[in-house]
Amino acid sequence: MDAINGLMTGFGVILTAQNLYFCLLGSLIGTLVGVLPGVGPLAALALLLPVTFTMQPVGGMVMLASIFYGAMYGGSTTSILLNIPGEAASVVTCIDGHKMARQGRAGAALGIAAIGSFIAGTLGVIIMTFFAPAIAAVAIRFGPPENFGLMVLGLVCTLYMITGSPVKGVLMIALGFLCAAIGIDVVNGRERFTFGSVDLSAGIELLAVVIGLFGVSEVLGNVETMAKSTLVSEKIRGLWPTLNDWRQSWRPMLRGSGLGFILGLVPGGGPVTASFMSYALEKRISPTPERFGEGAIEGVAGPESANNAAVAGSLIPVLSLGIPGNPVTALLLGALVIHGIQPGPLFVTQRPDLFWGIVASMYVGNVFLLVLNLPLVGLWAQLLRIPYRVLFPVVLLLSVIGTYSANKNVFDLWVMLGFGVAGYVLRKLEYDLAPFVIAFVLAPMLEQSMRQSLAMSADGAMIFLQRPGTALLLAASALLIALIFRRKRKIEGGMP
Amino acid sequence: MFERALNAFWIALGAAAAAYAWTLGVMSPSGPDSGLFPLIAAAIIVGSGITLMAQRASLAASPDFPRGAALWRVGGVVAGLALFALGIPYLGFAITGAITMLILLRTVEQSSWAMSVLLAIASVVAVVWLFGHLLGMPLPRGPWGF
Repeated sequence: MDAINGLMTGFGVILTAQNLYFCLLGSLIGTLVGVLPGVGPLAALALLLPVTFTMQPVGGMVMLASIFYGAMYGGSTTSILLNIPGEAASVVTCIDGHKMARQGRAGAALGIAAIGSFIAGTLGVIIMTFFAPAIAAVAIRFGPPENFGLMVLGLVCTLYMITGSPVKGVLMIALGFLCAAIGIDVVNGRERFTFGSVDLSAGIELLAVVIGLFGVSEVLGNVETMAKSTLVSEKIRGLWPTLNDWRQSWRPMLRGSGLGFILGLVPGGGPVTASFMSYALEKRISPTPERFGEGAIEGVAGPESANNAAVAGSLIPVLSLGIPGNPVTALLLGALVIHGIQPGPLFVTQRPDLFWGIVASMYVGNVFLLVLNLPLVGLWAQLLRIPYRVLFPVVLLLSVIGTYSANKNVFDLWVMLGFGVAGYVLRKLEYDLAPFVIAFVLAPMLEQSMRQSLAMSADGAMIFLQRPGTALLLAASALLIALIFRRKRKIEGGMP
Repeated sequence: MFERALNAFWIALGAAAAAYAWTLGVMSPSGPDSGLFPLIAAAIIVGSGITLMAQRASLAASPDFPRGAALWRVGGVVAGLALFALGIPYLGFAITGAITMLILLRTVEQSSWAMSVLLAIASVVAVVWLFGHLLGMPLPRGPWGF
């Protein structure tokens, strides 16, 4: 019943003209960045984070969260009509969604994507309402060693979920740690890796890193190819699915919701993994797998539901444990810290207005998004006529504003450019950038937990094995590492 | 070849960072010191760099770096952003933004002069109005007050 009371508190917070406006604004921006290829939710969040500095934390966080889940709705429009994913979690929607559009069923594909997103998003928030406070209630008993173990497990989970070389993933995590160590050591005030530079003494700005790695490097990749796309330009009709569409889609929607939510919970999972896994699952269990790739509506319903449910799932670890599972939630964590709020087990009890306000806003936001993405889908389709070559200079202008406005320091622009070029090159060499950002955000908390644990221990590092909770978390991490390298050996050996 | 050079760079970076972290102090009488965490991170970087150097399987399949017109476009964006960072303290956001946009539209998009000027001015005015005026962000101003 605490959850119901909390939710009522949340609705009391969100149902004000100002907060509803921010929720609607975030939903609009989220749909917009989802629709426009080359502008993902992470870059949009990073660009708009400085705007929230002058806002009340509730309004700011509600807006940022709604950009995140709004982008999941918008991404499908571009995938279906243009065969280019509006954002990464809609990549698989291109396969069957665009095929449906080519067969004259764009309306059905867009309709089922929006309705599936709404159902999954709402189901995800319902589970989150009851699940997040329960997790926080357990985690509230954690001390520094358990927090350390939990963060290590989170990072190892991230490694488990990445594609490509796990060694490169480990290297990215360590680089994230090292970059986060630049600046003043908060424990004793000593400067580290600043080499006398005043600009470096404040540390490397998170926004400059994120906008560089995920905004600028994305633009560099896109201007390199400047791919021509084919927009399905016929009038969009029949958005409401037929009875047959419903019959084929309701099970994939429910499966996608469950799978997406679980994968959202796992650090390193999130919407992108969820959509791919859902597509693979639907194809595997379908009695007619040959229809997949030829315009199967299940190939749209499952992944689109999964990526929306994953958003709700991925917010649970960050809000109830203070552990981000993907770069977007890492940035949300950074945003909370900038607003002077430390997410974690105490967040639910110390800031119920904010916690429950965010949860309640997701119920409202999903309704806004259903309206924005069904009747107004034609409007979003018109936006797809803007060529990328006109769009990217504007994205770069916004990147400069977003980076500069954090500290009003030109040095951050050089950091953004440096990380942009580095991100572009590292992507070419198949480095996954997500572990870097997650490690960069987690590093200060991880270091603090480690130092506190060692300071309170009479037996040095043995404290991590003497505490049962920590030992269990570290054992799980070790098991996952073993699984990662076993999987890698299998792939290299060409084993099934 | 490039990737091998990068792996060597990781090893060198990790070694240098480890040496520096060691000078910060690893353990003090009151517990862990400032250098411990970066030392661990640096050691992982060195270890990963050595492993990547030794493993052929971790090499990217075919790193496809841009050439010709694609290199020109990528270089144009990098140069444009560098110009932005250089120009902002002296010319302010609006003027630097318009010049950068003009360069990007001419080099990357290869629009006509008239279209480039029009788009550059229109987008800068829109962005300054939205962020500077409507959202109240203090954008850097040049000697002309904008």
